[in-house]
Amino acid sequence: MAKLKLPFSVDLPRHAGSRPRIHPSECAAYSIAGRIPKVAFSPRTADEAAKVIDALRQEGASISVRGAGTKQWRPPAPRSIDAVLDMSRCRGLLEHTPADLTVTVAAGTPFADLQSALRAHGQFFPCDPVFAAEATIGGVLASRSGGALRQRYGALRDNVLGMRVCLSDGSTAFTGAKVVKSVAGYDIAKLFVGAFGTLGVIAEVTLKISPLPAREALIVAEFNRADAACDAALQIAVSPLFPLAATLHDARSLRRVRALGAPDGVRWSLLVRCGGTQAAVQRQLDGVRAICGAGDALSMISIDADRVPHAWGDVSELAGGALYPAADYLCLKIGALPSQTPAVIQELAIAFDQPEITAHPAAGLTYAHIPAAETESGLASLESFLQKCAASDWNAEFLSAPPPLQDVLLQPVPLRAPLRLMRRIKAAFDPTGTFDAGRFMAAI
Amino acid sequence: MQKALLERLAGIVGAEHISWSGGDLRNYQYDGSIDRALPEAVVLPDSALEIAAIIRACNEFACPYLARGAGTGLSGGAIPERGGVVISTARLCRILEVDAINRLAVVEPGVVNADISAAVRHAGLQFVPDPSSQAACTIGGNVAENAGGLHCLAYGVTSHHVLGCEIVTTDGDIVWLGGKTLDAPGYDLLGVFVGSEGTLGIASKVAVRLMPVQESTRTLLAVFESIDDASRAVSDTIAAGIVPGALEMMDQRSTQAIEAFVHAGFPTDAAAILIVDVDGLREAVAEQLPAIAAICKRNNARETRVAADEAEREKIWKGRKSAFGAMGRVSANYYVQDGVIPRTQLPQVIAEVEEIGRRYGLLIANVFHAGDGNLHPLISFDEDRPGDVDKAIAAGAEILRACVRRGGSISGEHGIGMEKRDCMNVQFTPADLALMASLKHAFNARGLCNPAKIFPTSRRCGESAHTAASGSLPEAVAAAAGPAF
Repeated sequence: MAKLKLPFSVDLPRHAGSRPRIHPSECAAYSIAGRIPKVAFSPRTADEAAKVIDALRQEGASISVRGAGTKQWRPPAPRSIDAVLDMSRCRGLLEHTPADLTVTVAAGTPFADLQSALRAHGQFFPCDPVFAAEATIGGVLASRSGGALRQRYGALRDNVLGMRVCLSDGSTAFTGAKVVKSVAGYDIAKLFVGAFGTLGVIAEVTLKISPLPAREALIVAEFNRADAACDAALQIAVSPLFPLAATLHDARSLRRVRALGAPDGVRWSLLVRCGGTQAAVQRQLDGVRAICGAGDALSMISIDADRVPHAWGDVSELAGGALYPAADYLCLKIGALPSQTPAVIQELAIAFDQPEITAHPAAGLTYAHIPAAETESGLASLESFLQKCAASDWNAEFLSAPPPLQDVLLQPVPLRAPLRLMRRIKAAFDPTGTFDAGRFMAAI
Repeated sequence: MQKALLERLAGIVGAEHISWSGGDLRNYQYDGSIDRALPEAVVLPDSALEIAAIIRACNEFACPYLARGAGTGLSGGAIPERGGVVISTARLCRILEVDAINRLAVVEPGVVNADISAAVRHAGLQFVPDPSSQAACTIGGNVAENAGGLHCLAYGVTSHHVLGCEIVTTDGDIVWLGGKTLDAPGYDLLGVFVGSEGTLGIASKVAVRLMPVQESTRTLLAVFESIDDASRAVSDTIAAGIVPGALEMMDQRSTQAIEAFVHAGFPTDAAAILIVDVDGLREAVAEQLPAIAAICKRNNARETRVAADEAEREKIWKGRKSAFGAMGRVSANYYVQDGVIPRTQLPQVIAEVEEIGRRYGLLIANVFHAGDGNLHPLISFDEDRPGDVDKAIAAGAEILRACVRRGGSISGEHGIGMEKRDCMNVQFTPADLALMASLKHAFNARGLCNPAKIFPTSRRCGESAHTAASGSLPEAVAAAAGPAF
């Protein structure tokens, strides 16, 4: 990668639509792992973004795409950053016909703004990402930050219908459709969900939205053992109760949620978020109580409906989000078969002294926060845990790492990952390696 | 086809599982669409390793190949337009694993869609995607076409219910995209593989998601004097925050054809009927049924009726599912279109469809997944009447243009294949198509895997072989269709 020289030989302000930031003090706000970019742009539209990308690519610059910057602690850290493309000014609802259950929105729109605009129509985009207060919808998608609501509403990418993307050759393309169902051409939007901006820039998205449940309730079932709680969660998931979500937390992590907390002596709490018509919610609550009761739950508490949204907002942040200061914790996400969640939790407890654990048992996803102090003393326990994951066919992923670690950690690569195809995709979409080359996984 | 390649293929699958004689090949020249083309050989492999060996042999001889399931596709995805080898999944029909507690099953691509649900029903689970052809179509074809069905309004299409695929790449490598665990690290190659119409590789195993069977499912039939009223009832239901399991509409021409065929109990004098499946917990269904009925009444439904028992429910759905077959009885030929519009635009687009039919002098019946805005106009024609085929194709293309003008899509669930490749330009810009071409290149650089599908040729949308005028295409897009053989 050629080094970006200043001043540029092209007239960047003319392309940018907004003033490029080149002063070190302004660029410092965009630093990642201590690396300060040489220039930052904040385009307001997809077309402006495309022009900036085209100009930067011609200069041989590498570009790091950014929404609100909430997930820049993800390893590996970039070796250097030439330019940051800050998409947070590319914002606003572009189309929304409530009865079509679709919305098209600029990618830099804050997730919270999108939800409140939809809520005014009794609707929402059914996911509960981390950093929900600050994150942009583009960043939520690029980082695949779906959350536990997938239990009822499907994975994040299943609710993405279409996308306008800006590519490194300076072009913009639309992929997918703006209707709830389309099989016209390749569904390339799915590739951009979770690509961390390494294939191109998500500029606009069309989403499938859902009506808000008429009623909601939250039940907290307390268990002594993680396996009993996981077992209850799986039984709920195979039942016809269809609650919205279920999450499992150890006592330390749940204490971070002020609205809930965990009473002394309780080790594991299973939270089940119920939703639907009033009668359906009642049935879900009764059904969850019956399953948990038969599964050795110590106690069960229902949270009042009006406290659910607030409490749930905090609960969502326990999966690698805002309730953990990024400088103080290493956050690992482990994917396994749902029935293996207790084994994952057990291995975490063996490998680390004080892991804080949140799991979405029905999805088989576990999130562990390891205090930075534990990893400073050496990486041996982390390495042995990752080996255990590889041997068990579990997928491990670092969501964030404190500064010294972010520089040394690489994303674990599953043995059978189709790397050859992934490298070809990167080469096909971004042949100049303009977008954050090397920051994805396996040096892609 | 070179004899040396045939010998190689026979060595891979065994002489009894390969055919290159005219009579056998004719069974593989068609699918459920209008096009036809003969392959040069058909092979029936029994494993991913055999598929890999077949693909490597085809690569060596630069011979095109494609996979074929039950051949029920509606857009020509399994038609070997450029000849070559058809790889049938007929022998790959084993359900390999059912894991009830983890709600998944691993199956081979030749397993019939309905057989998956049948195999897991005892555990209270089901495989949700239910295309009308589910008694015959295979999971491999469902994956290739990202098949939909009657219940995708609430539960999504095939891609939402596939956890992973073991595929044989066009290099002959065997890899998993996705897997039994969620959120596999790396690019979501599975997301783009499902629905790629067999052009990016061949699935050799599919891990599917299973869902609990709903506790209660009731079916409501609502009868309307106008399509506008029925359409408004659809929009109002969704706007009221109710997402039924299925929400289907049929116009008068369809109900008349169906009644003459299966006697489902549909009134034949009404302009439109709605079939609504309400499912969920018993109490929730009991609350939602009257709410939907009230919305229908408010929109001038002359009658709403809830199926009293499972037998009546089945009768109603049998009527709906036999709509295409019924049209085949009342019309010499019919051409099923498949377009999508925002559901709030239903009345305007239905009026446009009617006007298009009048202009071409063709009767068009409408059966559609109203909840999704997915139209299936059935265009009647007579292939023995000179010019009728061309008129039907041209009318179909006009309907697709109308869908795109309204912000919709040229296919909701049938795919592009050969049938609609020349209409891709209507919906997508050259830059959009170039992005698709680069994706295809990444997976299928030689272009031998199911060539000539999805990407436009030099014809225009709605032109048939003998009305075509030549046009020009951007180079990358033209190349994406694959080499000529």
